[in-house]
Amino acid sequence: MHKWICMACDYIYDPEAGDPDSGIPPGTPFEDIPADWICPNCGVGKDLFEPYG
Amino acid sequence: MNPRRIRDNIWAVGTIDWDRRLFDDLIPLPEGTSYNSYLLKGSEKTALIDGVDPAVEQVLLDNLRSLGVEKLDYIISNHAEQDHSGAIPAVLEAWPESMVVTNPRCAGMLTDHLHLPEERFILKDDGETLSLGDWTLQFFLAPFVHWPETQFTWLTEEKILFTGDFLGSHQATSDLFVRDEAGTLFGAKRYYAEIMMPYRKKFPKYLDRIDGLAPEIIATTHGPIYDRPASILEAYREWSSDEVKNEAVVAYVSMHDTTAKMAGHLINALIDRGVRVKVHNLTGVDVGELAIDLVDAATVVWASPIVGVGPHPNAAYAAFLANVLKPKVKYTAVIGSYGWGGKMVEQLLGLLKNLKVEVLDPVMVKGFPREEDFASLDGLADTIAGKHRAEGLL
Repeated sequence: MHKWICMACDYIYDPEAGDPDSGIPPGTPFEDIPADWICPNCGVGKDLFEPYG
Repeated sequence: MNPRRIRDNIWAVGTIDWDRRLFDDLIPLPEGTSYNSYLLKGSEKTALIDGVDPAVEQVLLDNLRSLGVEKLDYIISNHAEQDHSGAIPAVLEAWPESMVVTNPRCAGMLTDHLHLPEERFILKDDGETLSLGDWTLQFFLAPFVHWPETQFTWLTEEKILFTGDFLGSHQATSDLFVRDEAGTLFGAKRYYAEIMMPYRKKFPKYLDRIDGLAPEIIATTHGPIYDRPASILEAYREWSSDEVKNEAVVAYVSMHDTTAKMAGHLINALIDRGVRVKVHNLTGVDVGELAIDLVDAATVVWASPIVGVGPHPNAAYAAFLANVLKPKVKYTAVIGSYGWGGKMVEQLLGLLKNLKVEVLDPVMVKGFPREEDFASLDGLADTIAGKHRAEGLL
């Protein structure tokens, strides 16, 4: 699964780890995260992430 | 400002703001600024690249009329921020056939901020082109220089790159092209430090792309035009790299001269050990000058008394700002004096979460420093010099 990086703050979303604090279980591909999810570090929306690595 | 010719059929039509002294209600502008807008008269189509601040939009409209622009086909928007986009509604109204050409994200932001109608947009994505007849424009997305929607516009045949705010400087000058190179580079460093630095990790990729184009001219939206762009490109390479210099910023504030005495002792101790020191008294500091010194520094020392039970608000303000600007500094430390206690060290460091720094041991003194406290400051200076030496900086 691909990692994604927040263009605003460089937070990296790792699908292996998910984002449990925001209700995203480990193993969730970035594409399957709900549209209203926001960067847990800086708060911008999914549209400001780009594939990483 | 009257129109100024860059090349045949290429004109600077923006404005110089000699008087402005503050931007975003935050950033001092000691040299004023300019809002650069460019007119391209192609064989078939006429295009305007970016606009000006809405407060001076009449100058732009008059400049276009004085150049005989009867039909304006395109307004290229490289950046949706109001000091460039704010005049677009007036241009659209004055030239009702004109269309705004930009990328989808910028179109969205222009709609958010200026309520532009959807039918006035032509959308162009990364690498797409637009013909002006004898000339071709190509668009390159360059997100976060310094907003998410930013792009560059490349005038292929003339080898002119319009980079929006990227590489720009806040300078009001009568020079159309950079003629005081050292002055412009310093202004550009201030601009980089205040506006661009948080996004520096993306810049090497953009600089590679620019190198690949080999532009003869780089025209930004603030400051004079680069007709010899090598030096600004080299400077941006250096500033945005991970390389730091043998420099320590000592940012201090003091109420009864006690913390100032500690800072002064540390400054002398650092100088004695060969570390270059940049000193800022945080009361009345020009935050731009502080930001400039954060661009290259390996170390930042925060010196503050405890006010009540926390840091002096001036120190908290500077730390908060540094956290926003995300300089590449590698080491930080807190020193200061207090009367009865408090959690200043934790609170100041808590404001610096964005910085990837190693925190050195603080030196906190109850009351006025004694001999052993000055020895602790010497120890901190030893540690800083040792870190710089280990990095190969000293």
